[in-house]
Amino acid sequence: MNHTNLRLSVLAACTAAALAVLSGHARAGISDNVKYQKLPNGLQVLVLENHKAPVATLNVFYRVGSRNEVFGETGISHLCEHLMFRGTRKYGPEEFSNIIAENGGEDNAFTSADYTDYFEVINRDHLSVPLSLEADRMANFAPKGFDSEKAVVMEERRLRTEDSPQEALEEQVEAAAFTAHPYHWPVIGWMHDIQGLTLDDALRYHAVYYSPQNAIVVAVGDFDGAKLIKQLAESFGAIHNGPKPPPVTEVEPPQDGEHRVTLRHAANLPALAEAFHAPNYRSSTDAFAIEVAGEVLGDGKSSRLYKDLVVDKRMVVDVNVEYDMTSFDPNLLWIAAQMRPGVKADDVLAEVDREIDLMAAQPPAAAELQKAKNLEEAGFVFGQDSIFQEAMQLGVYQMLGDYHLIDHYLAGIDKVTATDVQRVIRQYLVKKHRTVGVLVPTGLLPHEAGGGAIGTVHYAPALGAEEGASGVRPRPEPVDFGANLGEVAR
Amino acid sequence: MRSTLVKATVVAVVAALTSVALSATPSSALQIKRIKLSNGAVLLVSEQHQLPMMSVSIAFDAGSRRDPAGKEGLAELTAASLEQGTKQLSAADFNQKIDFMGSSISIAVDRDYTYASMTAIKKYAPETLHLLAQSLEDPGLRESDIARKRSDQVAGIKANEEEPGYAAMVAFAKQIFDNGPYGHPTAGFADTAGKLTPDDVRNFYRHYYKMGSATIAVAGDVDATSIEARIEHELGGLPGTVAAQAEPAAPSVAPGIHVQLIDRNVAQANLILGSGGIARSNPDYYKLQVMNYILGGGGFSSRLMRVVRSKAGLAYSIDSGFSASKFPGAFAVVLQTKNQSADEALKLIIAQLRQIQSQPVADRELVSARKYLIGSFPLRLDRQSQIVSFMLQVELYGLGLDYAERYPKLIDEVTKADVQQVAQKYLHPDALDLVAVANQSAAKISASVLTTQATASKQ
Repeated sequence: MNHTNLRLSVLAACTAAALAVLSGHARAGISDNVKYQKLPNGLQVLVLENHKAPVATLNVFYRVGSRNEVFGETGISHLCEHLMFRGTRKYGPEEFSNIIAENGGEDNAFTSADYTDYFEVINRDHLSVPLSLEADRMANFAPKGFDSEKAVVMEERRLRTEDSPQEALEEQVEAAAFTAHPYHWPVIGWMHDIQGLTLDDALRYHAVYYSPQNAIVVAVGDFDGAKLIKQLAESFGAIHNGPKPPPVTEVEPPQDGEHRVTLRHAANLPALAEAFHAPNYRSSTDAFAIEVAGEVLGDGKSSRLYKDLVVDKRMVVDVNVEYDMTSFDPNLLWIAAQMRPGVKADDVLAEVDREIDLMAAQPPAAAELQKAKNLEEAGFVFGQDSIFQEAMQLGVYQMLGDYHLIDHYLAGIDKVTATDVQRVIRQYLVKKHRTVGVLVPTGLLPHEAGGGAIGTVHYAPALGAEEGASGVRPRPEPVDFGANLGEVAR
Repeated sequence: MRSTLVKATVVAVVAALTSVALSATPSSALQIKRIKLSNGAVLLVSEQHQLPMMSVSIAFDAGSRRDPAGKEGLAELTAASLEQGTKQLSAADFNQKIDFMGSSISIAVDRDYTYASMTAIKKYAPETLHLLAQSLEDPGLRESDIARKRSDQVAGIKANEEEPGYAAMVAFAKQIFDNGPYGHPTAGFADTAGKLTPDDVRNFYRHYYKMGSATIAVAGDVDATSIEARIEHELGGLPGTVAAQAEPAAPSVAPGIHVQLIDRNVAQANLILGSGGIARSNPDYYKLQVMNYILGGGGFSSRLMRVVRSKAGLAYSIDSGFSASKFPGAFAVVLQTKNQSADEALKLIIAQLRQIQSQPVADRELVSARKYLIGSFPLRLDRQSQIVSFMLQVELYGLGLDYAERYPKLIDEVTKADVQQVAQKYLHPDALDLVAVANQSAAKISASVLTTQATASKQ
């Protein structure tokens, strides 16, 4: 789910600052070492040297996602991302990935509500290869095989959403939580909208949003930063801008009463997903306190919801709290749970309400607050273990306006007091601001009304581990971060 | 959901572990030190000073292949029970301590081994290691905790049952491996896992958690000499070794296409098509790695991806692989396609299996495969957890500390003739097991379309 993924990236995002804090360096963290330049055509370039391995990563972020779409054309951002691999005026379909692979590199891309990221991880000696290929597809987009790629995306929607009860539920909750803002629709788009998209739509979309003025290039790895900036300027500097992308002007009106959605879906177990409107980093300094409140409530096996719902009452298989302060517009804080057999969603909801009421009644104890902050701090360090994540952090923060946030994040977390946590719980985790979604399982068999087990076959993931075994090319980085950073990968 | 994410992560780690290929560059950077501890355990250390953190993983000869018949799921329940605190610390206190440090401790099972692992920032590394050691040497294994984890495991199995991809994989493993050590999922089945007792868990623990047969890998901001002393101190217990397990017969499929249809209310047919495979020790491993890269392992460069996804638009994801581990595994092609396209996709796949057997691959395909396999390795030694997994693989599968230096040559030696020869030897387009979790009335899968030697469904 997008919130999960984004949040993982946020945790990761903040690594570097932690480094500075932990190692007690007097001067700030990595933003000092970032070289930043804005080219005359508006392209923003950030490079950071990291010499721990002979590897480099190149990320090209475009500020376009499902947030920029309109009714009837949902899914165009993601389809456009797919088409970016289907050729240019210079290269044939799939040539991009083939060339990267031949150079021992990995490449992929993903689309979120807010942005689209294309990335390569490659031996430092071959970094010029993705550099010129990325510049080429920014300037010379000319995809072939539109119909088959659209069919692939429709298969992707079947895989990710139609056949995944939890995803299907979350899609409905988002649609009910947002009425005016484009976060209303899913990143992958509604099936019928995808079906109606044409090659002309994609070309038009690319012309508006895939311009230097709308992009940020981030490179991290084992290279000479000053030289790389020059190379980037040579490759991207001559690319012309299209028309200026129209601003997203929709604002979600305040929600004044609980929304409820019910989804009947092929499944055995009921599930619950509730989402509260919450401000983000750009809209409120409360974002840090909300992040900490989310940690106290639902991060780790000693968190309140896990202890209560999973361990003590044994009502759910798992429970999760997700919040991403880096979304472009104010978004949602999620609490999601999958029930154990025989447990009712309403009973779980009542129990979650009870835990929220407790947090509203009393601020967390000092040790509990410290634990939440320590989790953030450690997450920071662990996240920096990967150059790809480092690049992601820089890119996401720069899209919010300033990559220096990477060095202020932990300080923001550290300032949060127990009273702040109590205050944001009281202000934001209230019923009138929430949407509650309940999945009603209709069983797994076709045309089955009731539910219940099927046949004699048992299911579990054991073989998954094996099939990756010899020779299956591991999917590029994001998969490791829990299925990814944005939303819908290529 | 967290449970799903954790599983996905484990899968990813294991996949990386067994599919890793090495070039000379990173190994010199890894500087692996190999030490035998007084209790017989092998310790591998790679100093990584870029970040103030440490990662440790201990592999025990206690994978799900050790589950006794009728007690499928026991290795996993034992591992989960060991995470529930020590004799001195309740599960709640144990979790509280770990979370307070921001550390992670996990004891996870794959079919070959159990991995007891930790990650911590430097200042909390000693205390986290101490907690991990205590959970292994002096575990609580309280009846109430074991009962709770058993109920979690059964609930988890029921949750997994909802995912058609898991359903297909479990059915396929049963079909290929029968009652062999790889024939069941690590979690076991709801009825077998549900019947496990606290004594089953305690006996499994006493039997298989022996340091004399364990391998320990450490990567992090540590000094090799002092971490050796610390590990000697913390993990001095659990003496003894585990007797080797008899190798089962390699799986094989009788001629024909053996179809197992599972009816589900789904939009896509989840298909697995495959046959017997190889163990990691098979000398043809490297030839197969190249062949499989070209066939279906090479992501967007592979033939299956090109034909089934890019050209026909029939699937979002399709890949093929040999699960090469301790004992001979399976070869499998895995994909999802809308119900109505199942037959069409299967025909395309079988044609590709035949083609790579009957015609030599193109020069560019061979060169690309070699370049990718050799060149991409350093990318997968980016993180400490990956370095730890790599070191374990080198030791557990006997690849040797010079594996990194040898690997490029092993791959570079593979010829077009080798590729064709292993395709002929290890692919069996006329003898396949097929599992299809699909809305069967829409999919109408017809084995006769796929082969003239089709047999009846044996569902």
